[in-house]
Amino acid sequence: MENSWTSWLFLIALAVVALLFWPKTGLFVAISRWRELRRRERFEDALKHILAWEQRRQDATPESIGGALGLVQSSALSLVADMEERDLIHSTGGALKLTAEGQRLALHVVRAHRLWERYLADDAGVPMERLHRAAEKAEHQLSSERIDALDAHLGHPERDPHGDPIPRADGSLEKDNAVPLTDWPVADIAWVTHIEDEPDVIFHQILSTGLRPGKSVRVIENTPECLVIDDGVQEHRLVPVVAANIQVAAEPVNTERPVGLRSLSELAKGEAAEVVELGSMCRGFSRRRLLDLGITPGTRIEASLDNPFGDPRAFRLRGTVIALRKDQGDQIWVRSIGEKTTTKDLSASDCYTNPEEIKRTAENAAQGISEA
Amino acid sequence: MSQMPSSQSDRNCTSCSVHAHLAQMGVSIGHYDYLVALAGNPNTGKSSVFNALTGLKQHVGNWTGKTVTRAEGGYQLQGKNYKLVDLPGTYSLLSASQDEEIARNFLLFGRPDCTIVVVDATALERNLNLVLQVLEITEKVVVCVNLMDEAGRKGLEVDTRALSRDLGVPAIPTVARTKEGLHELARTAAGVISGEIETKAKRAQPPHEVQKALDELIPMIDAFAPGLPNARWVAFRLLDGDHKVRQALLSGELATIEAAQTTTDERFSRAISIHGSQ
Amino acid sequence: MSKSLSTPQNILDRSDQLRRALDGDFRDQVVSSLYGEAQRIAERAVRRDSSNKWDLDQRIDRIVTSPVFGLPMMILILAAIFWVTILGANYPSAMIASALFSLEHQAALLFESWGVPDWITGFLWHGVFRGLAWVVSVMLPPMAIFFPMFTILEDLGYLPRVAFNMDWLFRKAGAHGKQALSMAMGFGCNAAGIIATRVIDSPRERLIAILTNNFVPCNGRFPTLIMLATIFVAVDFPPVFASIAAAGAVVGVVLIGVVFTLLSSWMLAQTMLQGEASAFTLELPPYRRPSILRILYTSLIDRTIFVLGRAVMTAIPAGAVIWILANIEAGGTSLAQHVASFLDPLGYAIGLDGVILLAYVIAIPANEIVVPTLMMVYLGADLMTELTSFDEIRALLVDQQGWTLLTAVNLMLFSVLHNPCATTILTIWRETRSARWTTIGALMPLIFAFVVTFLVATLWRALV
Ligand SMILES: Nc1nc2c(ncn2[C@@H]2O[C@H](COP(=O)(O)OP(=O)(O)OP(=O)(O)O)[C@@H](O)[C@H]2O)c(=O)[nH]1
Ligand SMILES: [Mg+2]
Repeated sequence: MENSWTSWLFLIALAVVALLFWPKTGLFVAISRWRELRRRERFEDALKHILAWEQRRQDATPESIGGALGLVQSSALSLVADMEERDLIHSTGGALKLTAEGQRLALHVVRAHRLWERYLADDAGVPMERLHRAAEKAEHQLSSERIDALDAHLGHPERDPHGDPIPRADGSLEKDNAVPLTDWPVADIAWVTHIEDEPDVIFHQILSTGLRPGKSVRVIENTPECLVIDDGVQEHRLVPVVAANIQVAAEPVNTERPVGLRSLSELAKGEAAEVVELGSMCRGFSRRRLLDLGITPGTRIEASLDNPFGDPRAFRLRGTVIALRKDQGDQIWVRSIGEKTTTKDLSASDCYTNPEEIKRTAENAAQGISEA
Repeated sequence: MSQMPSSQSDRNCTSCSVHAHLAQMGVSIGHYDYLVALAGNPNTGKSSVFNALTGLKQHVGNWTGKTVTRAEGGYQLQGKNYKLVDLPGTYSLLSASQDEEIARNFLLFGRPDCTIVVVDATALERNLNLVLQVLEITEKVVVCVNLMDEAGRKGLEVDTRALSRDLGVPAIPTVARTKEGLHELARTAAGVISGEIETKAKRAQPPHEVQKALDELIPMIDAFAPGLPNARWVAFRLLDGDHKVRQALLSGELATIEAAQTTTDERFSRAISIHGSQ
Repeated sequence: MSKSLSTPQNILDRSDQLRRALDGDFRDQVVSSLYGEAQRIAERAVRRDSSNKWDLDQRIDRIVTSPVFGLPMMILILAAIFWVTILGANYPSAMIASALFSLEHQAALLFESWGVPDWITGFLWHGVFRGLAWVVSVMLPPMAIFFPMFTILEDLGYLPRVAFNMDWLFRKAGAHGKQALSMAMGFGCNAAGIIATRVIDSPRERLIAILTNNFVPCNGRFPTLIMLATIFVAVDFPPVFASIAAAGAVVGVVLIGVVFTLLSSWMLAQTMLQGEASAFTLELPPYRRPSILRILYTSLIDRTIFVLGRAVMTAIPAGAVIWILANIEAGGTSLAQHVASFLDPLGYAIGLDGVILLAYVIAIPANEIVVPTLMMVYLGADLMTELTSFDEIRALLVDQQGWTLLTAVNLMLFSVLHNPCATTILTIWRETRSARWTTIGALMPLIFAFVVTFLVATLWRALV
């Protein structure tokens, strides 16, 4: 009896030791590998942070890194020291700068992040709000070969789904050609890329209008006193000092419904319509497949069948019957056959209908600036 | 049947089951003189044409995507052996799902002597999209306008002569089920291979801007790799950002890569044709 | 100068620049211009009769996909196919069985009269040949009836409508509607079903379809289901309704398989294969008149004979193994009995018995040989019993081996849910090239099978 107990104990102990120390798969090796990975992730996150600040022409500091990565002061400092030792950054008087190698690595991570977001949005149909977190993980795991292949697969996209430029393979970054809204030509569609978050008063004023990065607006009127824009829902009047803090660019990624059009999903059964365009959110493989099936602008398309659950529905086009899910139909804009889309008439004189309000806005803005 | 360009005697012959010169050879294709590929949209009757020509029993079904791998067979016509390859259906050569990629790779890199594009007479518009894409790659094309009986049933009259004229390659009306027109099809393919039938492929006019970009790229490609059969197509692919073509260009192996691709594919498909139907 | 202009890198760089300079999507523009051209050419080449004859197809489709009739019709059609199969297979099965078994009997006698040693006769005729005879008589008639009918459906163009009707459910489960197509192919053979998943474009959804295809009972399994349904379910009904009841039972089991397909798809989509539903584009082709002759050929010669051939190839060695197991004795009982009694506790826990589990182990190469193995092990060295009708089989199972309705129900469940056969596992490996997914594809169903049958057995014993 005694004997068998001891031999059992011995066996168990042996198993435990093996589990802990087995080369390549043991617990210790696994833990140290995991820690190494964590460390690399931190490096890369820190580099990304410094790059982002450099692009905004600000100097990153150990404190800012600590804030961004959620580290206490001491670990932020040791992280910085570590990176300096590896020649990824150098600090000049508290300000941190990337070395060439650091910059390369940082761009690599940013490229991975944004391409992965693009991939998730285009090919996997992941919703906008979940992109960032998924990409935060993936960016540390993608090798540059995989990224290059992904880049080609996606057709070398220029921008991620949020509208930020994707660094190219050679490390070059498309110049962000965003301009202040005040410099934007009248009547053109502008796409909000960035809203300055300082000074606070102006920032909140902008937010209260409902404008966000990614929204598209049209400048209706631009005078030294007043800037009138239309965001598709309503018009806003902004004083130039406020409008200047909104950065806009040309690429319109409009998720909004084009004026006067219906989506394919809204066709009644048996109703025919003409395709106007594929929505810009419909990208990647899904878009290519729809095009290949002949859903191009001008195509006549007819809602032909509903199924027992109402989704997907089948449509008849070019002599064939194709079934599509609702979220695809939502992205295909159509108009009734023979109808021309009318653009909304906007009269410029609207700007002056309420001079009081304009004055108030201007005063508020000026006050905000002087307070800041 | 609206237009049967074949003569009366031919028609008599195709309706009888013993073809004058056409012999089915099944999978016994150890040696062949010419390689013929069957491409086309899904569900247009490629496998039916394949079966009728080779005497094999490739599975056929009325849904898109019945065939997902390559199958090979042979037939003999006027003393020459032809290897026929049945490909999975594809809507386009531009996008790539797995079965479509098999088809695309074979057309691009398998270098068939002739490509028969099987089209559905009842949905010509959609099918011609693919035909025009194939014509971008190769001029050695015969269009097989299949399902003519269905078209008749639906009250459609297809003028294959007009089609031939517009596309610049022969278009043959067929009914794969009853083997109508298939003899003519095989003969036309032979004619295209031998050069007896001249083809002048229609090239769809791309938008102005694209054309300008092409005009700039093509001379560059020509200067780099003189003698490349289709610089225009390579330029197209580069503008589209095709990873494979980019790689091939960088490694300077546009030609060799094609050859390598063919052999590996061949081994793969050989196994499949021997193991029979999927 | 021109030389330096056309290095590969230069060409690539320039093409990148040009691509960026094009406004709008290159692909959009090219495809639009291609379709524009296609439309022009088609307009010149096609003349349309004024009478529109499209309507028949559409009218049929409106019924086939209607909210009221759509789903019931699918189930009814499936039930009808099984009903005809059961009805038609019963008699030929008995005939083939009695012919082959009497051949076995005669041949054994002949061998005896020649003075061939007993063990050779036993091995060849009561082992190898008997396994083969069982496979042929149990498998051939149902397959020869089921396949042509199913192929007619396929040729008509009904399958895409099934996918169309089911997509919503699959989508809720995080999978793809075209999975219904690969499942339909799975009725023929799960390996073929797995290859058919290539029609699914998104890798994630395709993987789900591959891993769950096994929950469709393939032709190797539904003869087992038919036999059980006939023996255990149909007997409680008056003869007129017996075959309908049996068909209903089989359809019920198939639907349970569908439920588990959806359930396991959902579980995979929640855990290992997270992601959003991707695009779904499915063409609904016009209905076409099936070409009966070709269907008979492909389904009889190609499918039936091909599948039967494979079954026979595994039945021969399996028959030999079973004979050896049943005839080599250790300590007074045969090896088969030893193994079976070793497996008995596990078998009891899930409402089956050790012999059934042994049969499933032996049947890993091909599901077709489960029933033959069962019969041969149960009969053991008893060479005289000839089972040619379902009544005799019932007598053996219920009266001698103590099967109950629970055994039958759980065996049906186990048969639908258990691990894929070796060919299918190999196909999963070929299609995924991943040891991990292959393992999951093989083990997940097995775990399902054990858990479900265990729960059913426990509940049953507690309640009944
Ligand atoms: N009426 C009629 N039916 C045809 C004809 N040719 C083919 N079919 C039917 O059309 C369907 C599709 O035929 P397949 O040969 O499988 O088509 P495929 O192009 O190989 O299809 P994929 O492999 O999916 O690309 C089958 O049901 C055939 O029986 C024809 O000329 N007339
Ligand atoms: Mg086919």
